[in-house]
Amino acid sequence: MSVIKIDKLRKEYKDVVAVQGVDLEIEEGELFALLGVNGAGKSTLIKMLTCLTAPTSGDAYICGHSVVKESVEVKKLIDVSMQETAIARKLTVEENIRFYAELNGQSKEEIEKTMTMLYEAFDLGSVRGRQAAKLSGGWQRKLSIALALVSSPKVLFLDEPTLGLDVIARRELWKTIRSFRGKMSVVLTTHYMEEAEALADRIGIMKEGKLLFVGTKEALYQETGKANVEEAFISIVGGGELDA
Amino acid sequence: MRNSIKRIKTLAKRNFLEILRDPVNLAFMLGLPLLMEVLFFAIFHKLTSQFEIKYLAPGIVVFAQAFLTLFSGLLIALDRSTSFLTRLYVSPTRSHEFIFGYTFSLLPISLLQTVLFFVVGGLLDFSFWSVTMLLGILFSLVTSFLFIGLGILFGSLCTEKSIGGVSSAVVMGQSLLSGMWFPTEGMGKGFMAVMNALPFRNATLLLQNAVNGYQDLFTDLVRPLLILAAYAVVAFTAAILVFRRNMKGV
Repeated sequence: MSVIKIDKLRKEYKDVVAVQGVDLEIEEGELFALLGVNGAGKSTLIKMLTCLTAPTSGDAYICGHSVVKESVEVKKLIDVSMQETAIARKLTVEENIRFYAELNGQSKEEIEKTMTMLYEAFDLGSVRGRQAAKLSGGWQRKLSIALALVSSPKVLFLDEPTLGLDVIARRELWKTIRSFRGKMSVVLTTHYMEEAEALADRIGIMKEGKLLFVGTKEALYQETGKANVEEAFISIVGGGELDA
Repeated sequence: MRNSIKRIKTLAKRNFLEILRDPVNLAFMLGLPLLMEVLFFAIFHKLTSQFEIKYLAPGIVVFAQAFLTLFSGLLIALDRSTSFLTRLYVSPTRSHEFIFGYTFSLLPISLLQTVLFFVVGGLLDFSFWSVTMLLGILFSLVTSFLFIGLGILFGSLCTEKSIGGVSSAVVMGQSLLSGMWFPTEGMGKGFMAVMNALPFRNATLLLQNAVNGYQDLFTDLVRPLLILAAYAVVAFTAAILVFRRNMKGV
């Protein structure tokens, strides 16, 4: 069953067309990776799907609710973790989770359950009393992504979730993101090809606002005749001109 | 409605903690004005009536409130630059709830400032104690609305780098155009007209007259109150419009 249905979604900024009539369907419990060079339109697409910016034309449906006409309903079903770490810096880890849970209307009992779940899933229990600003970059990013799960979203959008993290922190986050598979649909954008290769059920490749490819890794390899996502990506986005 | 109030309370609590847990904020909002109140009284109160505590304490309250613009603006600009607000835009929170959340987090700080500087004023000069202090506290909430409104507006418009400069203009305005640090008798008519049209002198006069008593109700209380209220309404309306625009076009 499609949780996300994108129908000819388009976004124009003055003289720039950021997204050019994208069509796409994402299944329930699927982990979908969106790849593209800078300015390909990935973040703009995510912003439209999360009701942060209105499309110029077209529409998208989250569990059947239009992002254009039913943003209040859509916001109850989704959450997002943006490129930048988005946490309340002077609050402790526990206060951050409590703050976000209260904003989402959870009762005291629900908040306790949420905390237990997040401490377990992200191993945050050991730093629960520490001020967010005093955590390392890796822990801050973990907390930032954990906050996106507070509302138990049906669809989770992760915009460059491991940007700027060291290799150990990145691998730890991969493990966490993998654990989401089947529990919710995840759309992640990334510049790291190995990340898409390691995590995604399907991959979408964008260039200049257009979705050039959608399919599994295997389909990607088959279409491009390459043996890994990076080579296949270069083949599609660079038109084969960048082949070594 | 109940959920909305709960969200506003949650936002206000978070903002309050963010501001109060930064020692720099406390130093400028409480420490610096307190030091100035004590020093200016100790050094100058016998030389000029300008620095008698009945004029100095209400003036210091408004001066300290000007820092609310700086630190509320800084908090909002930082929340925007770190995507913290973007994340919250995806939550069920509405634009007016954000505005109320920021406003209500700053009102207790403003109240704390007023009580602190009045109590210290009373300790420096016992003749300052009076029931009219309560009226001063009440009006100080009105003056604080202006500075909070400006803070929310500037924070919604500026980046975290530019907010310091823009908000400092308010602190400078309150220092130079309020008439609290120098006598206004010798000022030219044009300069006085500017001072009277801007909110800074009106805010100081309103508190001074509320605490010390007034000769003419309209001239000494109602007029400065109306001018301040007009500026506060404009600041808050603009803040809401800019905030809404930001929410729609991240």
